Amino acid sequence: MEKCFLDQLAQIVGMDGMVRDDAELLTYETDGLVKLRSRPGAVVLPTSTEQVQAVVKLCHESGVPFVARGQGTGLSGGAMPHPDGVLIALTRMNRILDIDLPNRCITVEPGVMNLDVSKAVSDEGYYYAPDPSSQVICSIGGNLAENSGGAHCLKYGFTVHHVLGVEAVLPDGDVVTLGGPALDAPGLDLLGVLVGSEGTLAVVTKITLNLLRKPAAVKTLLAAFDSTEAAGNAVSGIIGAGIIPAAVEMMDRVTIEAAEEAVHPNFPKTDAILIVELDGAEADVSALFRRVEEVCVEAKACEIQIAKTNEQRARFWQGRKAAFAAMGRVSPSYYVQDGVIPRTKLPEVLSRIAALSERSGLKIGNVFHAGDGNLHPLVCYDERIPGQADLAQDVASEILTYCLDAGGSITGEHGVGADKAKHLPKMFNDSDLDTMQLVRCAFDPGYICNPGKVFPTPRLCGEVPGPYRQHPTEAAGLAERF
Amino acid sequence: MAVLSPSVIVEQSRSRVGQSVVRASTDMDLTDGMQPRIVVEPFTADDVVATLAWASTERLTVMVAGGRSKQGWGAPASSIDLLVSTARLNRVVEHRHGDLTATVEAGATLASVNSELARHRQWLPWDPPWSDRATIGGIVATNDSGPRRHGYGAPRDGIIGVSIVRADGELAKSGGIVVKNVAGYDVSRLVTGSFGCLGVIVTATFKLSPIAITSRTVAVECDSLESAESVVRSLTLSALTPTAMELVTAAGQNRLLVRFESIEEASAQQSQEACTLVGSFGQTEILSGEDESNLWQQHGVQWSGKPDVTLLKLSCVPAELFPLLQFLRTASIENGLDYVAAGRASLGVVDISLEGSIGAQVRMIQLLREQLTVGRGSVVVRNGSVTLRRKIDVWGEIGSGLRVMKAVKSRFDPDNRLSPGRGPGGL
Repeated sequence: MEKCFLDQLAQIVGMDGMVRDDAELLTYETDGLVKLRSRPGAVVLPTSTEQVQAVVKLCHESGVPFVARGQGTGLSGGAMPHPDGVLIALTRMNRILDIDLPNRCITVEPGVMNLDVSKAVSDEGYYYAPDPSSQVICSIGGNLAENSGGAHCLKYGFTVHHVLGVEAVLPDGDVVTLGGPALDAPGLDLLGVLVGSEGTLAVVTKITLNLLRKPAAVKTLLAAFDSTEAAGNAVSGIIGAGIIPAAVEMMDRVTIEAAEEAVHPNFPKTDAILIVELDGAEADVSALFRRVEEVCVEAKACEIQIAKTNEQRARFWQGRKAAFAAMGRVSPSYYVQDGVIPRTKLPEVLSRIAALSERSGLKIGNVFHAGDGNLHPLVCYDERIPGQADLAQDVASEILTYCLDAGGSITGEHGVGADKAKHLPKMFNDSDLDTMQLVRCAFDPGYICNPGKVFPTPRLCGEVPGPYRQHPTEAAGLAERF
Repeated sequence: MAVLSPSVIVEQSRSRVGQSVVRASTDMDLTDGMQPRIVVEPFTADDVVATLAWASTERLTVMVAGGRSKQGWGAPASSIDLLVSTARLNRVVEHRHGDLTATVEAGATLASVNSELARHRQWLPWDPPWSDRATIGGIVATNDSGPRRHGYGAPRDGIIGVSIVRADGELAKSGGIVVKNVAGYDVSRLVTGSFGCLGVIVTATFKLSPIAITSRTVAVECDSLESAESVVRSLTLSALTPTAMELVTAAGQNRLLVRFESIEEASAQQSQEACTLVGSFGQTEILSGEDESNLWQQHGVQWSGKPDVTLLKLSCVPAELFPLLQFLRTASIENGLDYVAAGRASLGVVDISLEGSIGAQVRMIQLLREQLTVGRGSVVVRNGSVTLRRKIDVWGEIGSGLRVMKAVKSRFDPDNRLSPGRGPGGL
């Protein structure tokens, strides 16, 4: 990157807002998906909208790509830097700007941690609903980019349901405000498409979030089953009874054992467990909880534990939320997949995954947000064994084809990023992708805002959309779309 | 398009619009005071594709009509050559009851869809006005909702997938059939509330809700807006979980309808608790069964049968709703207007019907807008006579995002042929 460009960046953010040290730059080479790495051309740490705007304007005028990054906890390489671009790390923009309880909203900068939002209003009886497993360390800006969910999104929805408004810097440096504390701002729902766009449309600098009253009652049970199929039947029974729990999580034997080893939640040693949580008004929760217990018994639960204290409830959740990290105890390496299926296809897909595990020789653990069909198969491998890392990746990719065969999606919450861009055409045809590109081109005609993510082989915005033509190297099997 | 007689156009189009029914327009098709030159009624997505491709070749301006319950919504279109009626696209494509999702064609009415979904005790939990006629496509295109939005959200919150036909005749989909899905851009939400200016909706997929077993409604008659505000504040701060909290206010009337839907013991207990909580602010009554159904029926039809009624949508931050309603009360007296305001008291979204001279209505809209700033509130003319809608900007100020909205519109519809001028911000 040219010195004069770097000097201009330094003028905007100050010397303390630039990362130059080689060792420090290493931190920014990758997000949570460490297999994808790229050294950024420059890293800036702005502290205000004005600084973000000036950096983006400079990039726009110089034709330099940029990538926004929050805490770097994403799992799809969405915040992987561009080698010739600027990485805009928003970690220093971490102030809570306004708490407006009469209007049940809070305005924050993008670097504020998810959990800190709820902490800021907890004493007054409010909370912020989306609760990704990484909520202690992930930022609201990243949540917005990925449309994060969490265990409780079955009942309360995703980030898109809780973002009321944003201030955003467009790829040409213009600052716009979309939405606001009042609902139904007239105009196209740009906010709806910006949330989940994985940082490819704008850099968000302020976010107004909806706050909820804490529920009066919360009840949680853990039910153990002899098979994932029986646990799946219980989930069907609960939904079929007209009950929408706050959360329904499932773990299989592999992940139960891993969690037990890591955080000792004292889970039953069984083939599947469900954690079911209901919340709401006291009267509803009490009555519906009894029905959930009955359904679990009807589905042949071999053991039911009901959390009698907050500590016990926290223990259930600690075991569940530790499942990913815990896999490190039972396998040298593992690949976290994120796919979605219609919930009723669970038995069919799980049996295909089991067969794949047997065929490949790789152990696969399964953790799911069972209520909404979001699977997180954990493919275990040992990178010291030649070829096994590649095999794990192939296995993880094959699981996505099972999800698509079942009518599902290649990602429920981790995003497409750089990792799954090549899979997107398996879900959407050229016309679908062209239509999405129309949105992209409206926001970012110069294609400088997090380029290379989400979409494979994007056409430049001047090109007329038309049928995709296979490149000769693809036809020859020498390359694939990425 | 060359100026040809309607019968010639009908004849010429027959081979170009798939299996669609083609006909000359009638008085029923009058939209914004204009007679479309031709009406096409597609049966399938392929028919819509053929129709829009033909319209693209001939450079026809296109409007979409569903149940015609919202023909008076949005800014008047500047031109209508072709009216695409979704009347024959009226099927429930698939109800995946085990997954609580359904895919529905745009022309199906909400009532007919819910009647089919009810076989498995599920439904689309919306109750917008005119739901017997309002179609799924129209409800999505306007993001319209009713009292139950308080508990269940708006269509924007429930949509998980959509297929549209673009202005150039390309069929495109977004989202899918699963509730949780972050693959690709969410064009479904972009299309929701876009008033047909980006494409013609063919099907939409939604997450569903189970139909609650029982319902109770607490009606609270208050003697002042201040008391009504106290009711809303108490309920909002309580642990109760109503599915609707509807305010109806007019000269001499301040009434709240608070609905609880759940299993029997929970609905009963919550409605009792609500009465205890707000009893000091007004006279309370718990309704159930037929009485309750009739009450909501009347509430839902108060503007039906008045196609030209002036209906505003006032949105504001919740804490400013009652001061604004107080302002409305005073200003309507000063301007010689009658009004009824009804809507989601806790969300800060109410509909206001106005009766009086057009000039006074325009003045009132301007006065209300002066009380609000972009992002903290808006007044949109939802429904009204063509005369009114030509006299005033129906949307009001859009804000800094308008620039991007125009860019999106020009990418989707570069020739400005889809609902030209009707969409938000005059798109």
